[in-house]
Amino acid sequence: VTKRLLSVGLALALSIAVAACGSSSSGSESSGGSGSPLVGAGSTLVAPLMSKWQSDYASKTEETVTYGAIGSGGGIDQITSRTVDFGASDAPLTEEQFEEANGVEQIPWALSGTVPAYNVEGAPEGLKLSGEVLADVYLGKITSWDDPAIAKLNPGASLPSTKVTPVYRSDGSGDTFAFTNYLSTISPEFKSKVGTSTQVKFSTGVGAEKNDGVSAAISQTDGAIGYVGLAYALQNELSMPLIENSAGEFPEPGVKSVEAAADAVSKIGPNNEISLADLPASAKGAYPISTYTYVIVPLESSKAEQLRKFITYAIGPGQEYGPDLDFAPLPKQVAAAGEKAIAKIGS
Amino acid sequence: LEAGALRHPVLRARRSRKDRIGDPLLRGLSGLAAVIAVAAIAGIAYEVIDQASPAISKFGIGFLTTNDWNPVTERFGAAPFLYGTAVTSGIALLLAAPLSIAISIYLTELAPRRLRRPVATLIDMLAAIPTVILGLWGILVLGPFMRDTVEPALQSVFGFLPIFSGDPSAFGYLTAALILTIMITPIITSVTREVFETVPRELKEGSYALGATRWEMVRQVVLPYSRAGIVGASILGLGRAIGEAIAVAQVIGGAYGIHISLFHTGGTLAAQIAAQFQGATSQLQKASLAYLGLILLIFAVIVNVIARVIVQRGHLKDTDVTPTEVEAL
Repeated sequence: VTKRLLSVGLALALSIAVAACGSSSSGSESSGGSGSPLVGAGSTLVAPLMSKWQSDYASKTEETVTYGAIGSGGGIDQITSRTVDFGASDAPLTEEQFEEANGVEQIPWALSGTVPAYNVEGAPEGLKLSGEVLADVYLGKITSWDDPAIAKLNPGASLPSTKVTPVYRSDGSGDTFAFTNYLSTISPEFKSKVGTSTQVKFSTGVGAEKNDGVSAAISQTDGAIGYVGLAYALQNELSMPLIENSAGEFPEPGVKSVEAAADAVSKIGPNNEISLADLPASAKGAYPISTYTYVIVPLESSKAEQLRKFITYAIGPGQEYGPDLDFAPLPKQVAAAGEKAIAKIGS
Repeated sequence: LEAGALRHPVLRARRSRKDRIGDPLLRGLSGLAAVIAVAAIAGIAYEVIDQASPAISKFGIGFLTTNDWNPVTERFGAAPFLYGTAVTSGIALLLAAPLSIAISIYLTELAPRRLRRPVATLIDMLAAIPTVILGLWGILVLGPFMRDTVEPALQSVFGFLPIFSGDPSAFGYLTAALILTIMITPIITSVTREVFETVPRELKEGSYALGATRWEMVRQVVLPYSRAGIVGASILGLGRAIGEAIAVAQVIGGAYGIHISLFHTGGTLAAQIAAQFQGATSQLQKASLAYLGLILLIFAVIVNVIARVIVQRGHLKDTDVTPTEVEAL
C-alpha cells in the first residue's frame, strides 16, 4: 500500500510540474488577444479612484480593467518590461526611465496633493508653516517646535519646546517626489543637499514604510511631522499644518485648493510633465504641494484600441468621481493635452 | 504470505518487473528533486551576481566600505547596512541565546510535567506570528515603550557609554534588535529544548547520585553535553535575524549612515532591499540593491559554514568525552 501511495504521489507531483509548465506557456500566448481585459499596475495614490473607475467603466462598457496597486516604482518597472498594459506613477518618468521604457508616453490623469501631518502636544490646531520652515526641518536646522521661524508664522500661539522629529518615507514614493520637488523649489539649500526624487537621502529624521507606517510613526511620536497623500490624510483625519503659498495665504489642503493650484499652471512640459511646485504669486487659494499623477502607456500595443478607450474615459467622464475621493478634476487644457496624447497610442 | 507469493512464478515475474521500473523511477525522481534544489541555489546566485554586475563594476570592492546611500547623486555603499545588520543581529543573538537556554532548562528540567507541553507549544507559536504583525506591534507598542521607559533607564545607568548616548527614539537599532530577539527566541528554544531532551538519563542520574545539586547537574552534564546543539541552534537563529527584512524595515527607521548610538535610526541589508527594490529610481540603484543581496547571500553562507564546523567539532568532542564521562560517573 505504501508503495502504491508513493507512486501515486510521485505521479501527482510529476503531473503538477507538467501542468505548471504548460499553463505558463499558454499564459504568455493568450496575453495578446484583444478579448482579454486591460491590466495595469502602479501608484497606490490613484488606487481608490481607479477602483471607482473600474466598476463604473465595467457597467458602462462591459469591459474589465484589472489594476494592481503595487506602488509607482513597481508600475514603472512593469510597464518597462511590458508585463502590464499600462503603468501608473505619481512621479513623472526620469529621462533614464523614459529611455529604458522604450516607446511609452505619460498622460496626467488625476490630480491630488501631498500634505504634511504633525503631532505636537500643546501646539495649536492648524499650525501655520512655510516651505522654508519645512525645508529647514528636513535639513535638521529647525530642531524644536518653539523655533523663532515657527513662532513668527504663528503670532500669539503658545508653542512647546518639544524636539522636532521629521518622518519620511523609506520606500520609493510619489509623495516623496512631490514633497522634495516642492522643497527643492523653495530652498536652494535643500535642492543641493537632498534633491528631488521618489527616494532621497534625508539628512535627519525617521524613515517609515508606506502611508500607514508614516502615519503610525507620527501618531506615536510627540513632536513628529511627516507627509502623506492628501486623500489618505483627509480620510484618516490627521492634523495637517497650513502651508503658506506663493500668494502669502494659508489655504486649507483639499480638492478646492489643489484645483486652484492646477488652474494657475498652464505650462505643460515635455512628455506631458506638469510641475505644480513653483506657483505664481497670483495663484490665489492654491495649495502649494499639489501634484499630478500619470498613466504610462506603450505607443505600440496589441490592446491600443482598448487603452485609448479606457484612458479617454478616465480623463473625461471618470473625473467626476474625483472630488468624492479627494481628487481634484483635471483642468481643461490638461485633459485636452491628454486627448492629443491618447491619439498617438497605436498609431 | 510474502515468501509464498515470491515462490509463485507469475507473481515473482510481476514483482520483479515492478522492481525494474519502480526503483529506477524512484531514483530518477528523487534525484531530479535534489538537482532542482541545487539548480535553484545556483540559479539564484547567478541571477543575483548578474543583476549586481553594473554596481560591482562601478563601485568594486569599495562598495563595502562606502558610508553613503544616495539615490539622487547615485552614490551607493553597503557600509551602513553591513553595520546595521551586524549590530542588530548581534544584539538579538546576545539576548536570545541565554534566554532560550534558560527557557529550555526550565522546560526540560524544572517545570512541572503538565506545564511543559503547553508552554513549549506557546513558545513555538511565537514563531508563527507573521513578521509584518510583529513589526506593526514594534511601531505601536514596543517602540514607544523603548523610547519612554527602557532607553531613558539605560541612559541613566550606562549613559557614559557612547552606545547609549543621544536622544531616546522609538525607531532605531535597539528596537529592531529587540524585535529580532522576539523572533529568534522560539527558534533557538525549540532546538535547544530538543537537544536537552537527548541528554541520557543515566548521565543526569549519575550526577545526582554523586551529590550534585540541580544547578550543578545542569552545568556539568546538560550544558556540556548539548554544547554543539546550542551553538547550532544559535547560529540558526542568527541566520534568521540576518535575513529578516520586513519587521526590521518597519522599526529601524530607514536611515543611511553609521551611528554609534543604539537609539539612532539605521538600516540593514535585508530591510534596505525590501524597502527600495520595488521603487528603485535607476538601474544603478537596482544593481546596488542586488549587490547588497549578494553580500547577504555570502553572509548567510559564511554563517552556515561556521555553524557546521562548530557543530561537527562539537560532535567529535562529544563522542570523545562521553564514554570517559560515563566511566567517571
